[in-house]
Order: sequence, then C-alpha cells, then structure tokens
Amino acid sequence: MNKPRLAIAGLTACSGCQLTLLNCEEELPEIFARFHLDYFPMAESFHDPQATFDAAIVEGALSTPADLATLFRLRNASRLLIAFGTCALFGGVAAMNNKSSARLTLLNGVYGEASAGVESFPPSPFRNFVSVDFAITGCPPEKSDLLALLGALLAGTLPPTPCYPVCTECRSRENLCLLLEKNELCLGPVIQGGCNARCPASGIVCEGCRGPVREANVAQQLALLLERGFDAKEIERRMSRFTPEWDYGQRR
Amino acid sequence: MEHAYFKQTQLGPLLETLRLFGELHGPVLSEAGVASFAALDDLGALRLDYGKTRIPPKKYLFPFREELLQYRDGIYRQSPLDPPNIVLFGVHPCDLAAIAYLDRVFLAERPEPAYALRRERLTLVGVSCEPDDFCFCSQPQEGGACDLFLAPRKDGFQLAFAGAKGAALAEAARGLLSEARPEGEMSAPFRAIPAQDPQLRFSDHPLWQKFALTCVSCGACSVCCPTCYCFDLREYPSLDGGGTRLREWDNCLFATHGEVAGANFRASRLDRLRYRFLHKYCGFSPLEGMSSCVGCGRCKEVCPVDIDLRELCGGPDAAAAVPPAPLRPAS
Repeated sequence: MNKPRLAIAGLTACSGCQLTLLNCEEELPEIFARFHLDYFPMAESFHDPQATFDAAIVEGALSTPADLATLFRLRNASRLLIAFGTCALFGGVAAMNNKSSARLTLLNGVYGEASAGVESFPPSPFRNFVSVDFAITGCPPEKSDLLALLGALLAGTLPPTPCYPVCTECRSRENLCLLLEKNELCLGPVIQGGCNARCPASGIVCEGCRGPVREANVAQQLALLLERGFDAKEIERRMSRFTPEWDYGQRR
Repeated sequence: MEHAYFKQTQLGPLLETLRLFGELHGPVLSEAGVASFAALDDLGALRLDYGKTRIPPKKYLFPFREELLQYRDGIYRQSPLDPPNIVLFGVHPCDLAAIAYLDRVFLAERPEPAYALRRERLTLVGVSCEPDDFCFCSQPQEGGACDLFLAPRKDGFQLAFAGAKGAALAEAARGLLSEARPEGEMSAPFRAIPAQDPQLRFSDHPLWQKFALTCVSCGACSVCCPTCYCFDLREYPSLDGGGTRLREWDNCLFATHGEVAGANFRASRLDRLRYRFLHKYCGFSPLEGMSSCVGCGRCKEVCPVDIDLRELCGGPDAAAAVPPAPLRPAS
C-alpha cells in the first residue's frame, strides 16, 4: 500500500480542528504507520520547505498576508487541498462580524495604538483565493469525518458526503423539535448535518456550526423564523455566527 | 382469527407473559415529552393512550443507519447481525398497515436479509386507537398485520390473534383470558389515501409551485413516514485497508437522491415533489397502483411549513375512486 504524504496546518483559527486529529487517540498509531506526516507545525517543528504532499489538510480562515502565503504554498505543493473545518469553508467565528464592523475599528479595539503595524483583512474562506478539492465541515469537525477522509485517501479516493440538514438526523433521534414545539431559534433546517444532531439532542438549538447545507432554502427559513416572531436582526446575528455570507433570497 | 377477552387488571400479567417471547417494547414518553417506542423495562412507563410516536415502528426493521457489508482484500461479507427477539406492544392500526406494506417491499421475491431477520424476530401486538387532529384515516379500524390485537372494551380488552405466533402467545396467556364472542369486525387495514392516477403528478395545480417554494428539504416527512423506505448506500474505506458499506434512510426531496455522475434526474425541488407524489400515492412496480399512505398524519404534523400533499390528490371524492388494495394476511 502506498504511504501518502500529508501536510496538516492551520491559518487564522483556534487549532481546534487540528486537535480533532490529535484526539483520534485510538487511531493515531495506525495513522502514523500509514501516512508520512511531513508537515505538521503544531506537533513538530522541523519541516522541509521543498516538500510536496499528496494532501494538505488545512484549518482556519485567511486574515493575514502570512495566511495567504501559507495557503498558496500548500496549494502549490499538494495534489489535494482539503478545507478542514468551518473557518476554512465559510469564514467561521472569526468572520462573524465581517459585515457589521470595519476591520480597522476591530484592530483598534484589540491592539489600540499598536494596531498600525498589524496587517489584517476580514477573515475569508479558502474558496475566495484557491480551488479546494474536498472539505470537512464542523466547529470542530467530527472525528469520524476526518477518519473517513484518511481511510479514503489510503484507498486513493475521497469519502462520500451526505447532504442532509441537521433536522434529518434530529428527527431520526426522536428529539423534541425545538423550532416547532418550543418555538426556539433553531437553525437545523438550513445547516449541514452529520453531527447526529448533537446539540438538539441535548436540548440546545442548532447554532449552525457546520455551515449551510447544500440545498438550504434560506428565504423560507427566514420567513419561517419571522413568522414565529423572531426579530430580523437577531436572526441575522445568529445565522452569521459561523457563516457570514448567506444569500437570504436563496430558495434552491 | 380467534378471539378472547381479558380484564383490565390482567394487563400487567399479560405484559409479563409477553416478555417470555422477547424484549418487551412499547410506547413511552421520553424525558422531553416525545412519544416513542422504546424498551419497557418498567411497565409503569407504558403509555397506551399515546397519540402517535415520532418515529414509526419501521425503526425496528430498518434502522436509520446500519452497516450492511464489510470488505477486505476485495471480498465483501455481510456484516454480522443477530437482532434480539422483540415484542412490540401497542402498535396502532395505521402503523401495522405500514409494516404490511414494508413487508411487501422487502420480503417479496428476493427477501432483503437484514430486514427479513429482524422481521422474523419481531412480534407485533396491535391496539385500536382514536384519531387525533393530525390523523387522516377515515375511522379507527382494527386488525392489520399483527400477531395479537387488542381493542379496549368495558373493563378490559377484547383480544384477537392470528397465525402460529399469535396462537403461541394466546396459549402462554391462557390463564389470563376468558372466552369472548367477537364484537364487530377485525377488518383488513385501510388506506387513508387511495392510489392516485399517476398523471395527477403533472397537474398544473398552483399548490405544486407553492410547495416547491416553501419546502425547506429538512427530510422530516420521510424520516417520520411509516412507509418511506428509500435509502442511500455509502462505502467508507478504513485505515486498515478494509472498509464498510452503510445504509441510511434517504429522502426523495434531497437534491442528491436523483443525482448521478454529471446530472440529476430531478434537478428542481418541484420535480422532486412530483416524484414523491408518484411514489407515495401511485406506487412503483411491482407495487404499482398501490398507495403507501396509511393516514398516520406524521408528515403533516412534523412539516415546518405545513405542506400537505393530500391537497394535491383529486379532491374530496378521490377517496372513493379507487378501492383499497388487498394486503398480505398476517403470517
């Protein structure tokens, strides 16, 4: 069996996605035996700047010139680029205020006078800059999705990706419907499933951490929430928490 | 079909007797207050006055997600499966009719092994019911594909049993039963919405457009439908070079359902709604001409945007247009 060469890296993010890999404790020996982890700055300091990879699994949004340089380098050095986690795919929590606050205001708020030397732009997903071959969503991603990717890479392919919303798994678990039965602001209908409705199953609304489902009927979800008495600003604030870019007119 | 009677006070002992035939399951309320079929470790949890469970009994025969095959070195093997014997108590006639329908789908001609094994080990005890606001069966009915059927009577239950399993259950409970003459018919199950003309799916009724615009594709209608059985198969290679094939419930309203390499048979949501109508109310070969709606009303109850496909059927007189299809008798 071939032994694929991997790069694991992070851009503007909390490193939680990379931790998902390190949390695969039971599988780590198998992973280290089956892959060359040639670039993994979070776990090891040495790496060869000339290295090329079969797959680069990269978390985080892009918000600095250094992020861009890293992403371009990995894109060029790797056959496959995997957007790993919600930030890489949609911008994530770092981007939640992209539309409501100017970058300069935020920088001044955090760094004060020192902000003049900070190079930073509104956090953006990979697809704004490079082509992406595969994505694993989630904040953080599910371990099972990462292991499915690694298994598929060994087999020379990519894993299948179901495209149903959180509601599908939530209904299958016979949960109380927080949207219809408790009139809570649950985003289940428009958010990508695969988490086995982790939050609604414990009585917490879907916050949307896995980003839009492929076929999100955003306009209808908005109408539904407005009809149920939620304030438009509050809806937008909640929708933007993990994904700033929604097309509120989308009905596909 | 034979009949007997037992007193209300004998319900507990009867349930304990049923435990001899497998794990006893029945309708209970979850902590959050949702009715569902679950193990009856404590008979006090039984809620025989339940309206409808969120998920129908199909979950016992065809779980939401299951591993079907394992492969290694290019060879596929069936995943090991040894389901427990289960006695499912308190199933309403609509859900019994739904199981009879699923039996036709999964057991006709070439039986599907996992379904067949679970079905063989499932004992069904039906109970008559009162329709709630969401039900759309015409009237409460008795019977269906079950081994025992209970109908509340004054101070007790009339009990009907059929087939070898039913006779064995009645024999085990003989000490609790007294003789009874049948009151009323233990009639065949019904169809709440009879088979529809397949041409109806092409109708230009404005509701088609409205439903296509408002459906949020959440999948609740088919997850909660007692006869929706469409599924997706996915294969996942594992780290050790082997792999597994999973089966998971699918929904004809998802874009991926009709998607093939390079195209989609039903690219728009309107196409998919028309397709759902066709499958649900007109049937596919070899069940062509058979409606699979049993009138449980779950789809209407769980839909966030109040879509009710019945409104697309040919008006209030349609129910009389096609006689209900005969069902396989209980075995």
